[in-house]
This record gives sequence, C-alpha cells and structure tokens, in this order.
Amino acid sequence: MRRREFAVLIGPSLLVMVGLLVLPLVRTIQWSFQEVTYGQVGTFVGLSNYSQALTDPRFGRAVFFTLLLTIVVTSIILVIGYLIAVGVNGLGALRPYILGSMLVAYVLPGVVGAVSFSWLFDSNFGGVLNLAIERLTGREFLWFTDTWPNRAMIIAHTVWHLLPFSVLMILAGLQGVPKELREAATIDGASAWKMHLYVIIPTMRGIIGFVCLITIMDVLRTFDSLIPLSPQADAIGNESIMYYVFDNAFRDGSQQLGLGSAVNVLSILLILICLFPFIRDLLKEAKTKA
Amino acid sequence: MMPSTATAPSTEVSSPPTRRRRSRGNRVAAVLLILMALLMLAPFVWTALSVTKPTDVAFANPPVLSGYTPTLEAFKNLWETTYFAQYLVNTAVVALISTVVALVLGVPAAYALSRFPGYVSAILLLLALVFRSLPRFSVVLPMYDISRALGIYDTNFALAAALVAINQPFSIWLLRNFFAEIPKELDEAAMIDGCTRFGTLRRIMIPLMRPGILTAGVFVFLFAFQEYLTALVLTDTASKTVPVFITTQLGQTLPMLQQAGAAAMLLTLPVIAIAFIAQKYLVAGLSDGSVKG
Repeated sequence: MRRREFAVLIGPSLLVMVGLLVLPLVRTIQWSFQEVTYGQVGTFVGLSNYSQALTDPRFGRAVFFTLLLTIVVTSIILVIGYLIAVGVNGLGALRPYILGSMLVAYVLPGVVGAVSFSWLFDSNFGGVLNLAIERLTGREFLWFTDTWPNRAMIIAHTVWHLLPFSVLMILAGLQGVPKELREAATIDGASAWKMHLYVIIPTMRGIIGFVCLITIMDVLRTFDSLIPLSPQADAIGNESIMYYVFDNAFRDGSQQLGLGSAVNVLSILLILICLFPFIRDLLKEAKTKA
Repeated sequence: MMPSTATAPSTEVSSPPTRRRRSRGNRVAAVLLILMALLMLAPFVWTALSVTKPTDVAFANPPVLSGYTPTLEAFKNLWETTYFAQYLVNTAVVALISTVVALVLGVPAAYALSRFPGYVSAILLLLALVFRSLPRFSVVLPMYDISRALGIYDTNFALAAALVAINQPFSIWLLRNFFAEIPKELDEAAMIDGCTRFGTLRRIMIPLMRPGILTAGVFVFLFAFQEYLTALVLTDTASKTVPVFITTQLGQTLPMLQQAGAAAMLLTLPVIAIAFIAQKYLVAGLSDGSVKG
C-alpha cells in the first residue's frame, strides 16, 4: 500500500480521534496542574492537586476498594469463566440457549442491569434474594448500608455483568485448540485435570491473558453500577476511583476540576502499568514483522 | 464434573466404561449450566415481574408472587406521564448515527492498518488499545467544557460525536483483526485485474467482510445504546437518553420507580433481540477476529 493511500484511508478516523480524544486528554492533563472550573481559565498550581488527592483519605479508600474489586472479580471470572466455557463446549443442542441466556447479562445496559440487580436485594422493594438469604442464614444483612454485604453485592453484580464476555472469548479459544493435541495427550494417558493444566491452558495463554486484561480494565472503570447499587458509596467506603472523580469534579456544588483531573491522570498511569506486558508483546511482534 | 466434559469431542477414542462415566458427567454439567443460565437471567426476569404487577403490590415485602392480575399499567403511565418517547428516540438516534459514522470512518482505517506493514500500524494499534482503556471521565469532562463553549451541550449531535470518538479505537481494533484474516494476495489479484486500492476495498473487501462489519456494528450500537456516563455528563433535558432517565427515577415514589423498571424493560428488549439475532455473528466474529489478532 502506498503512503498516500494509507493517509487517505486512515485520515478521517485519525482526525476524529485526535480532535475528540487526544485534545480532551491534553486538556485533562493541563487541568490537573490548575485550579479551575468549567468555562474558566485556570491558574497554575503545580502539583497541589496531586498532593491533595494523595493525602485525601477518601481517595485512599476509593483506591483500596477499586483494587479489591478488581482482584476479586478478575480471579472469580477467570476461574468460573473457564469452567463454564469448558462445560458449554461439551454441550450439544442446548448450547445456543445457554449462550443466549448468558448474553442477556452482557448486553443489558450497565445501569439497567445494576438497577435490576439491586431490586433482588432490596427489602424496601420486596427483593427475593435478600429474603432467601435471610431465611437460609437466619441473619439480616444490610445490603446497601453495611460495608461488606454491600461489597459482596457489588462483586456479585460485576461478575454477573462481565462473566459472559469472558465465557465467549474462552469458548472461542477452546475451539482453536488443535484436536491432535488433545488426542495425543489422551493417548499418553493424561487425566482430564492434567490435560487442562498442561495442554489446553498453556495453548490458550494468549486469550486468557487478553480476557484478564479486558476484565481488569473494565473493573477499574466501575462507575455506572454504583449509582443504583451503592447509593451511599462514600459513607461506607465503597466508592470507586471513577465515582470519586465524578463526585469531586462534576456533581453540583463541588466542581474541583483540577482535583478530578489529577485523579484521572493517576488512573491513566495505573492503567498504563497494567497494560505494560501487553504493550511490550505487541511491540515485539511488530518488530519481528517489520 | 467440568474437566470430564472438556474431552467430550474425543470420546470416540475412549473405552466404553469411560464413555458412560463421561456422559453422566455431561448430564451433570448440562444441569449445572442450565441452573447457571437461569441465575444469569434472574435479575431481568424479576424486573419483568415487578413492572407487570399492579403498583400497590409491585414492591411489597415479602414479594407477592401470585394472586394478582398482570397489568401493563406501568408502561402506559411511562408513556403518558413522562417524556420517555422522546428519550427513547434520542437514544436510538444517537446510537444509530454514531454506529454508521463509526463504521464509515473505521472500516477504511482498519483496512489500511491491516495492510500497511511495519511500525506505523503497530503504534497506531497500540494507541487504539490505550485509548480504549482510558478512564472515560478524562475525555468526557473536557468534552463537557468544550461543548458548553461551542453551544452544542445537550444536543444529540454532541453526544453522537463523543460516542463515535470513544468507540473508534475499539471499532478499529476489532475490524483490523477481521481484515487481517483476509489474505493479501486477494488485494493483489484485484489490483492486477485493474481495481484501484479504493475499488478493492469497496468491491472485494467490504463484501467479504460483511460478517465482521456486522459484528463491529452490533458492538458499537450496543455500546452507544446503553452508554450511561457520557450521556450523563453531556446531556441535560433536551437530549437525555433512557439510561440517564432511569437513574433519575430512582429514589422517587413507587409509581415512578415502576416506570423506571418499565423503561428498563423497553430499553432491554430490543437489545436482547439484536443480540439473539446476531448471536451467530457475535460468536463467530469474536472467534475469527479479535482472538487470533
């Protein structure tokens, strides 16, 4: 392909991305060094937004909660997602129905899913799950106002929402494992357990890594679902980083845009660190192709 | 039970007793998977039940499960007492426009990326990946500021433009993987036969890529249709979308809450319909495209 053709084909898309993603991002970085609100020119304040964020105990709690959520949800999703994908892969006629029902949780708009989910647990709205759990355990849980029950509910919701994607991806990966490899392992007398551990999972390293990465990225960004699931997120320490940004930089009455932007920049750094192995692989691959 | 089912495709090489054990394992797995699928559907089903109950028992505690006459009153109320119709039109228009524009921009770009060798592609792709993972607020808050300055705050146009940009990296990423599956020799053959580069894209690649483009289109549409955060920040009343409307109804009186549930159902049903119709393409698309990329 000639350079000119390349430029014409990619130009419009690039223009939109530079104008609507890169420039806003640059603005965020500028704001993070300023004291500023919307529609005004800010004044440079150096690193004080960053030090304000890093010394704010509320921010610390948000970071702790977000990381906790990310680690727990990602581990659950990888294990359960793999098991389900293996199960679905062995299914016959049932398969499209199972996949179809799972897809519902994935395509349901995030907020809608979270609202529906919260109703299952809310005694004010005749929730059926909280009632069942109460009957089973004989204890009453305050799902919305008590820190740990609320966390459990948020974790359950996040797993519920993100699991179908990982099942789909892992299922696709399982179908890519060469049949000969499995047959060879069976002939060599590998048990099912060993087959998965030493043959199938290593072959699918790339996909499992990808699923892990996407899940981490999605959980780090948790925001929508907390609006219905944790109405008092700040008070009970279940605020995500994005919720903290929203509350400080956008909500009426407290538009500390500089502080919010500084937190945005910090989360970008965190995300880049998570992405690093993936980026390195991609660059390595590019180098061998070049 | 799970590990034994994985080897199901190779049962033909195993001895009879193992096969019997495996098929029992399969049945157990099937039952567990059905239970799991029902559990995944539970929140949706529960909401559907709540919004078809009469308002006085809709949120009763303990829940009323029988002895009432199902009613569509909540939907009627929603339609008559709120601006739901307008919000639904806003949501659909924004999703549709942003999908079409995203594909018109994304398809040629993805094609170029899949064919241009070397570092440029890799670096652009890397940027696409990084931008896909950005915290949404880091671009949406500046967009809010800019849209106010330009006087386009709270318009469908501003929201659609924002969503095109936000979804562009993902669209390109997905489409590029589909294009990469098509052998380069096909382009060369077409060009030897006298097609220009753009003719090749239009006449050969796009028809071949139909499932891939459809998959990307469905994804972008779904993202735009359900986007909450961007719509929350960039809209107020005129171009409010359904997801934002639903959350503003929360914490209100019970009839309004039931309306929110009804709105949720109406937003969800077309989405589920699309997902079911496109299921084949979604699964095939994911397995052919993004995974091997």
